[in-house]
Amino acid sequence: MKGYGLFYYIAEAFRGFRANSLVNLLAVGTISMAMFIAVFLMLVFLNVRTAVHSLGDRLEMSVYLKDGLTGQEKDFLLMRIKAEPGVKKTRFFSKTEALALLKNELKGQETLIQGLGENPLPDSYELGLDRQYAEKDRLEALAKTLSGYSGVEDVSYGKQGAEALTSLYKLVTYGGAALAVLLGVAVLFIISNSVRLALYSRRQEIELMQWIGATRGFIRGPFLIEGMMLAMLGSALAVGILAGLFYSLPQDIVLFLSRPNGLDFLPPSVITYIIIGGGLLGLTGGLISVSAFLE
Amino acid sequence: MIQLYGVTKSYEGVPALRKVSFAVDKGEFVFLTGPSGAGKTTLLKILFCAERADEGQIIVQGINAFRLNASNIPYLRRNMGFVFQDYKLLPHKSVFENIALALKVVGAPYGDIERRVYQVLKKVGMEGKRHLTPPKLSGGEQQKIAVARALVNEPQVLLADEPTGNLDPQSGLDVFQLFKDINMKGTTVVVATHDWEMVKKLQRRTITMERGTVTDDGRRAPLRPLPPVSPKAENENKQKKRETGP
Repeated sequence: MKGYGLFYYIAEAFRGFRANSLVNLLAVGTISMAMFIAVFLMLVFLNVRTAVHSLGDRLEMSVYLKDGLTGQEKDFLLMRIKAEPGVKKTRFFSKTEALALLKNELKGQETLIQGLGENPLPDSYELGLDRQYAEKDRLEALAKTLSGYSGVEDVSYGKQGAEALTSLYKLVTYGGAALAVLLGVAVLFIISNSVRLALYSRRQEIELMQWIGATRGFIRGPFLIEGMMLAMLGSALAVGILAGLFYSLPQDIVLFLSRPNGLDFLPPSVITYIIIGGGLLGLTGGLISVSAFLE
Repeated sequence: MIQLYGVTKSYEGVPALRKVSFAVDKGEFVFLTGPSGAGKTTLLKILFCAERADEGQIIVQGINAFRLNASNIPYLRRNMGFVFQDYKLLPHKSVFENIALALKVVGAPYGDIERRVYQVLKKVGMEGKRHLTPPKLSGGEQQKIAVARALVNEPQVLLADEPTGNLDPQSGLDVFQLFKDINMKGTTVVVATHDWEMVKKLQRRTITMERGTVTDDGRRAPLRPLPPVSPKAENENKQKKRETGP
């Protein structure tokens, strides 16, 4: 289209937006409601994910050693443990330290330990694990491998905690994705209907443009931009409303919700993705309507 | 310029055109006449690719319109102007914007639009009304704007469907005078009309249709010089006749 490109389409889209301002403002409002649910869920998802990750950072595994290992055998075992992928840090925890810790935890009931006679606790290596291992199956596999090493008596980790963490993460991820898809479809529906209304209100002009030699792209361009504009405005409005609510929450509620990891608002990069994503939805909605109309 | 061979078209089994064949040479001025339902409008729509023929061959400016891909239709239309009975002007746009749209559609440079719109409006004598919207103009003026829009891209073919159907005799005369001028400059003009008075006055080739068939393709009629059709010229003619006697 010699001489006419994006600039012409944008100018025409603004003109169309103004010409149907009431319908378009209603569309922006409706889109913003659907997008508000989406961005609210995104806020919840990101905060839960941060919480899950911070729990993952504290993920530990204890490797209990057999009694009577020589210093050389312990060093060799440590070397093998360190070579395992996912092991971030290691700390040797002697049976004496373990007993001291136990005594500390059982303060006031020392008699229980005194009855044991010789220290029954084993030496151990306490492993700090990579957050990627915060998943039941991977933890199980690592524990199984470490149990097979000579000199290892037993391996323990917070199995139930890991399972709960995995379930929560999956729930947030898949649930969020399913809701996002549903809301995406809703936004698509709203936009395609708004663009359809705009098309019907300008059908005389469109028909005439076809008669005087306009290509499909020339007719389609402004409506696609208009759909994109509606969705981007709706998304921006949704983010704005959420930000308004988030920052106007009473501080004690924020502090309560923040525990233990803090509650963050959507980072600028995510806001950008939401608005661009909204724009792409708008483009798709516009494309669906215009293609059907021009058929 | 235009060739049709055995063009057939039906709407839900009802035939609108039956084996229509004729040719129009470059620079010709042709009337398409016949009673309502004869197939004149269908034929023009087929030439303009607004309708597709069921059978036959349609060659327009060397392009086989029957086989033309949908994506190429806009490019064929850019070399053709079309004037409708109901003008088809956009009521909320000014005269200038209505004509400028035809230039924008073909990607004319922005800098040229104002000049070209002014020139074509001057050609139809409407340059003083470029800022008005169509509802503020008379029927004849609106049709002149529609003609200007059809001409602004300097098409090689101009098709008109009952262009004077909604106009008073004087306005109809003005529009036909415009067509005549356009034709004199080399544009092929095909006009579907019921206006027998005008057909008789202009004495150009007349293709007559009836019930979807061409009953007379007008080839036999010898071409005579175009008589003037402006009211002034017409009065002069009458005066001469009176002077010379019967």
